Amino acid sequence: MVGLSIGEKHFIQGGIAQDLRTDGRKRLTYRPISVETGVIAQANGSARVKMGKTEVIASVKAELGRPSSSAPDKGKVSIYIDCSPTAAPQFEGRGGEELSMELSAALRQCLLGGKSGAGAGINHSSLSIVDGKVCWDLYIDGLVINIDGNILDALGAAIKAALSNTGIPKVNVASTAPSDEQPEVDVSDEEFLQFDTTAVPVIVTLTKVGRHYIVDATSEEESEMSWAVSVSVNREGLICGLTKRGGAGLDPSVVLDMTLVVKHVSEELMNKLDSEIAAAQAMEEKS
Amino acid sequence: MEYVSPEGLRLDGRRPMEMRQLRAELGAVSRADGSAVFEMGNTKVIAAVYGPREVQQRSQQLNDKALIRCEYTMANFSTGDRMRKPKGDRRSTEISLVIRQTMEACILTHLMPRSQIDIFVQVLQADGGTRSACINAATLALADAGIPMRDLVTSCSAGYLNSTALLDLNYVEDSAGGPDVTVGILPKLDKVTLLQMDAKLPMDIFENVMQLATEGCKAVANYIREILMENTKQLENRRGI
Repeated sequence: MVGLSIGEKHFIQGGIAQDLRTDGRKRLTYRPISVETGVIAQANGSARVKMGKTEVIASVKAELGRPSSSAPDKGKVSIYIDCSPTAAPQFEGRGGEELSMELSAALRQCLLGGKSGAGAGINHSSLSIVDGKVCWDLYIDGLVINIDGNILDALGAAIKAALSNTGIPKVNVASTAPSDEQPEVDVSDEEFLQFDTTAVPVIVTLTKVGRHYIVDATSEEESEMSWAVSVSVNREGLICGLTKRGGAGLDPSVVLDMTLVVKHVSEELMNKLDSEIAAAQAMEEKS
Repeated sequence: MEYVSPEGLRLDGRRPMEMRQLRAELGAVSRADGSAVFEMGNTKVIAAVYGPREVQQRSQQLNDKALIRCEYTMANFSTGDRMRKPKGDRRSTEISLVIRQTMEACILTHLMPRSQIDIFVQVLQADGGTRSACINAATLALADAGIPMRDLVTSCSAGYLNSTALLDLNYVEDSAGGPDVTVGILPKLDKVTLLQMDAKLPMDIFENVMQLATEGCKAVANYIREILMENTKQLENRRGI
């Protein structure tokens, strides 16, 4: 994907070893993040996030559905990621499918918790309307517009921003329906409930290049990586999910060291993101 | 249903001959050789151009001209109800073909033999007229990539509902089932490169509707030229000329 000469590779590795990367950042600094909310008019919530040149759009759509029989008091959330061929020509046709699947799976692990929905960043219980009968199905769609490394973190941030932009219509249930029939529901067009996003984690990916690890790697840096670990951390500093990519193995002791680093970095990212989201919301309301 | 009120206003408050608000922006995708965002009202598309570059599949190489390829994709969230269609359905394949043929008519392919130009169009929001919006976005992206063209191609649609000719149909008007004429023109050369219509229309009315769509194309062309001029001025400034 990225064609680099031996000299360029050495330059990138050398820079990381000296804590001064090719774009002037330190090992644990993020590129500037910009957030724009409400970019898709038809969705219940949407956001565009740019991290350096990486650009993604996330949208949240809520549809009425039936809860599954194993969890009658919970709504359903699904995450699908799509890689647009505009981002890279190799995503043409079915070319982007593999990466899309990998990203979707990683995000599900990081945000949705276990099968029961326990420990999830998104509160499934708040999506329930009538136990065992009606619930909200949240469809989270991500679209990768431009790729310059670190897509997973950007998608995580975009989903968080889109969720905080999401208004779920208020629903009135007709109480007279007998218990064995599907109750009639009245979806309000005017009243919306703000989705609670305080528990939604952020994702921090640590990429190992040479002897060190870095955050927010660019495509060039990612081409030099031996492995990358993505950790999702919530506001309390608890780890919500973890995925590893890349071929090489890593020493178990490194994982503990990494979690400490991630905890520190995620706090900064979370604060940065929250202020960006608040600014974007204010901008949207003004216009 | 009434698509034009007695006062002569359409469902979204436009007059019959009024186009939706246009907005365009160049260089939206930094990795691509050329890219653009084009909006017609609520319809919003991104186009990215990669090339001219080496042909990826040798068997497709053309020795006397460039190979043009095009892919049209719709985002899952682009339509009102969430889409669950697989990639590469018939409709997208047809639109890809239409865009490719329209762009082939204006790119000077003979100047770039044995090379390939990829045009990717991604629909972010669909509210009628995606075909036209995609062609307009592709033109801008090609111009941004600096690919030699005979002229800009611009496109616009027009329809005929409640015995009134309407310019630039939105989704509701488009799905009304009336005739929908999509025209693509080369504005300077005054040639038609794309003409599609469904449903039926009497000859004399068709002439009017097509005339209206052509006028729409010209208006789009003026807007696109403005955007390109502005962009060129900015580039000029940056180079300190």
